[in-house]
Amino acid sequence: MAERYDVIVIGGGHNGLTTAAYLAKAGLKTIVLERRSILGGATLTESPVPGYKFSVASYLVSLLRPQVIRELDLAKHGLQMAPSVGTYTPHWDGYLDRRTDHADTIREIRKWSHRDADNYDDFKQTVNDITRFIRPAIDMAAPDPYGDPKEWLEYAGLAKDFGHLPLRTKGALLDLIAGSAYDFLSRWFEGEPLVATMSASGIIGTFLGIKSPGTGMVFLHHYFGEIDGSFREWALPQGGTGSVAAAIASAAQSFGATTRTDAPVKQVLLKGDRAVGVVLESGEELYADTIVSAADAKHTFLDMLPTGSLPTDFETAIRNFKFRGSSAKVNFALDGLPTFTAAPPGNGHLMGTVSISPSPDYMEKAYDDAKHGHPSKRPFLDMLIPTLTDPTMAPAGKHVATAFVQYAPHKLAPEHGGWDNIKEQFGDLVVDTISEFAPDFRDKIVGRQVMTPLDLERTIGLTEGNIFQGEILVQQMAFNRPVSGWARYKTPIRDYWLASSSAHPGGGIMAAPGRLAALEILKSKAQVGE
Amino acid sequence: MSSVAKKRPTGPASADVVVLGGGHNGLVAASYLARAGMRVIVVEARSELGGMALTASIDGVRAPMLAHTVGRFRPRIARDLGLGGSVRLIEPETRVFAPHPTNGTAITLWRDAEKTAAALAERPNGAKTAAGYLKLDGRLRRIGAYFSEVLDGVAPDLDGGKSVAELLAGFAFRAPFTDLQEGDGREILRMLPMSAADLVGEYLDDEHLLALISWRAAIYNAVGPMSPGTGATLLFDGITSDGADGGAAGQTVVAIGGPGAIIDALATAARGFGAEIRTGAQVVAITERDGRVTGVALASGEEIAAPYVLSTLDPKTTLLNLLGVEATGPELRRRLRATRSNGVTAKLNLLLDRLPDFTAAGSGPSAQTLLRGRIVILDNVLGIEKAFDASKYGEMSETPVVEALIPTLIDPSLAPDKRHVVSAIVQYAPANLKSGWGEAERKQLADRTMSVLESVAPGIGKRVVARQLITPADLEKDWGASGGHAMHVNEGFDQFAQWRPLYGIGRHETPIDGLFLSGAGTHPGGGVTGAPGANAAARLIKHLRRSAE
Repeated sequence: MAERYDVIVIGGGHNGLTTAAYLAKAGLKTIVLERRSILGGATLTESPVPGYKFSVASYLVSLLRPQVIRELDLAKHGLQMAPSVGTYTPHWDGYLDRRTDHADTIREIRKWSHRDADNYDDFKQTVNDITRFIRPAIDMAAPDPYGDPKEWLEYAGLAKDFGHLPLRTKGALLDLIAGSAYDFLSRWFEGEPLVATMSASGIIGTFLGIKSPGTGMVFLHHYFGEIDGSFREWALPQGGTGSVAAAIASAAQSFGATTRTDAPVKQVLLKGDRAVGVVLESGEELYADTIVSAADAKHTFLDMLPTGSLPTDFETAIRNFKFRGSSAKVNFALDGLPTFTAAPPGNGHLMGTVSISPSPDYMEKAYDDAKHGHPSKRPFLDMLIPTLTDPTMAPAGKHVATAFVQYAPHKLAPEHGGWDNIKEQFGDLVVDTISEFAPDFRDKIVGRQVMTPLDLERTIGLTEGNIFQGEILVQQMAFNRPVSGWARYKTPIRDYWLASSSAHPGGGIMAAPGRLAALEILKSKAQVGE
Repeated sequence: MSSVAKKRPTGPASADVVVLGGGHNGLVAASYLARAGMRVIVVEARSELGGMALTASIDGVRAPMLAHTVGRFRPRIARDLGLGGSVRLIEPETRVFAPHPTNGTAITLWRDAEKTAAALAERPNGAKTAAGYLKLDGRLRRIGAYFSEVLDGVAPDLDGGKSVAELLAGFAFRAPFTDLQEGDGREILRMLPMSAADLVGEYLDDEHLLALISWRAAIYNAVGPMSPGTGATLLFDGITSDGADGGAAGQTVVAIGGPGAIIDALATAARGFGAEIRTGAQVVAITERDGRVTGVALASGEEIAAPYVLSTLDPKTTLLNLLGVEATGPELRRRLRATRSNGVTAKLNLLLDRLPDFTAAGSGPSAQTLLRGRIVILDNVLGIEKAFDASKYGEMSETPVVEALIPTLIDPSLAPDKRHVVSAIVQYAPANLKSGWGEAERKQLADRTMSVLESVAPGIGKRVVARQLITPADLEKDWGASGGHAMHVNEGFDQFAQWRPLYGIGRHETPIDGLFLSGAGTHPGGGVTGAPGANAAARLIKHLRRSAE
């Protein structure tokens, strides 16, 4: 006997759980079906090396919407975050160590360029003004250019604000949307490690180089974040990012939602032009009035629907939606902290992010390799040692380091023989890259886990290993995400909704698509009920 | 115009407006301004008019020095200025002939898209390729027809959009965006920021053809076909003089007598309207007082007093070199300095003692038909990207992409004897070459270009009787283009429309009262269109009428 629900949510990552929490809170009988035996999706803490805990995929939180934290009362459900303090960039001729203290940061920057130090405040002000203006857009569904004018009402305030922005802010915003992260930064800065490290925000999870137009958009995406009301602050969740998912799951359950793991959905069941349920790999069928997919656009539309159920144009558009994963994760268990050759005294510089991004050319060459189908010979790394702020992640006195590595193109040139063939070689390359600046790093390693884009695809279900469930490209944002005309979580299949990062406003541990989809679903139910 | 007459300054040399630059845009602007009754003086630094649309002699044979096709010249301008019968254009049936550098095959793109599709159908997986080609061609023509109207206007004012879709498209002025089919409208909003390779790749997966079409969005610019924003360049390149006849093949149109024929006609028109044209007159400063233009100073020491200056020189030269920081302000200077204007395009002009044999073209009259098109030598998208990569680090491509034209075959009047000119655009060779542009580097670039030509036309080197190489460094030195960029500033979605060259000065007006920006560095960009000249002149005239009221 098939069970009946008001809502079935496919996918137990942070967006699926968020949608479920909001819908359950509204009184709907909701179930979340997760393919794996653990909830979280890419927001995941696991122990691939016994005794050591890792945020195996996503590792930092900044974009998580404050509304979600508040409305779901996540603090009550155990979410605790510590701010990540600063960024340390080793360089062949020294280092750049930016921490929270403003005067110290300016002093550090001045080591590399007086001009940069003089311009730093102006830059910060400009970017703050831009993010303050644009940020409301990530908490509203995207309006459609050909859509109901009512959709634009919410944005009327934003349009008016734009008119009132000073020309320099308007100009900088437009430059950022269309241009490259590197060009944008070059208007203020020239110091190699500063420009390279800051421009890295423009390429995270993107198959583009820092000089490629369009990376300004990615840069902006990463500056949306706020923790306790302060912009561009990153935070480390205590217990790894898995604890974010656990808190949202706990909230959902407290509102009455059911979560089921080891429940892979094979197909969405249709009746005529509407979705009515799902069938699991096991053959079990579940029925509901509303089906929500928190999987990416490819799984949602191409893998889980019966062939031929979508309009041709829509299906073509989904096939043209670009994933192109470009990054890997390498997680290390360490029996001590690495010693960087050029570093200030103490361990303060290791408390935040260690960025291997010594120069713009280094970054751009890393991209060139990937463009031609090779892992970067010298990749960009963004490494964290969470045990310095959260000792529970490792046995006493031990450490974990988690390195985000780019570029690791999902599609390799044929001579590499596929990711499984070069996986460990790639791990060695990451060790070499870190050891170039911290020679004792390799001796501290007691275990490691390499997550190639193929692993991210197979384990977590991210198509082509893209961490944003679809690239953050200008043409794939806002009303074009994932398909022009279908950016408001509704799909061409009635009662089938999209709530993943493939929808506006995109990826990161933001939970905005999950929340906005739930709000749209509730709105549509209210209209039907009227 | 009587109010202008009253304001006319007195002195040895004065005008209502000084136009900087005697290229096609300068002459177009001068013609419109003189036609409106203004006293116009055009100053050109070089000894002859034409700028980058110059026809010059190579060993006695007339050849296009830089630009070699003129297909996008705006018909409206030709009509307005009465160029009518004085310029004759030829559009060969072959738009593009693309012999593959290694595998011996070739692709031909004809004026007639159906004919092209029929030939493409013969290639491996050809039925799909032919269908995709026709679909892309139709899309580009429809969008080209829309953009054609956009070309004849000032870049839109983002603050004054009429409807949301128009506002987003940023083209709220001439062609109502909502007149487009909804599907095309949505596609424009999606395609502008895309890379050309992604855009074309949605229609075609034939590697050689994909590279050939997306190349059009990279030529003249420091980008590769995989660079985002080249989609905008491709859509704009789909606009030709017939309104929307570019399509997937792009245009191939030459002027009888070379691009210089357009220059001659424009100069005649400008003089006919009463404009004064001076060559060998180099401007060293734009003079201003209290943020208001007062005229220009020439290298000779002479000053020309004028309340208006319209510059068709590149934006960096105009605003950074000809004006001081007190006039432009540090903010604008900082932003403008970061504008991308590094040229990567060189030109190699060859004089041959006879027509070279291109293996894939065969021989006889049919070969001559094929060789009337643009001859584009490239293999695949990653091949172009590899050539581009080198230029990012101040190196020239080992295997440059070469787009050649044999103008003497299309217009035999250029060479009365049996000799032929091969006019080759060569990319990528950066202006800021790490080792500098010495004799050795020039020879290296010429040799590498010849190897590419030899790969498809064995023996061509032996036919060469004279050659002429123009590097981006020459463009900077001899043509005054800051950064040596043939389009003045890089093209693409990020330096496009209102963003060209920068948001805030993208509508031809500048913070300096009376100074108007024109030329390839302004909307709608480079190429022999005349549109930036006409649009800036219209803007100036409008301004004048407003202030006269």
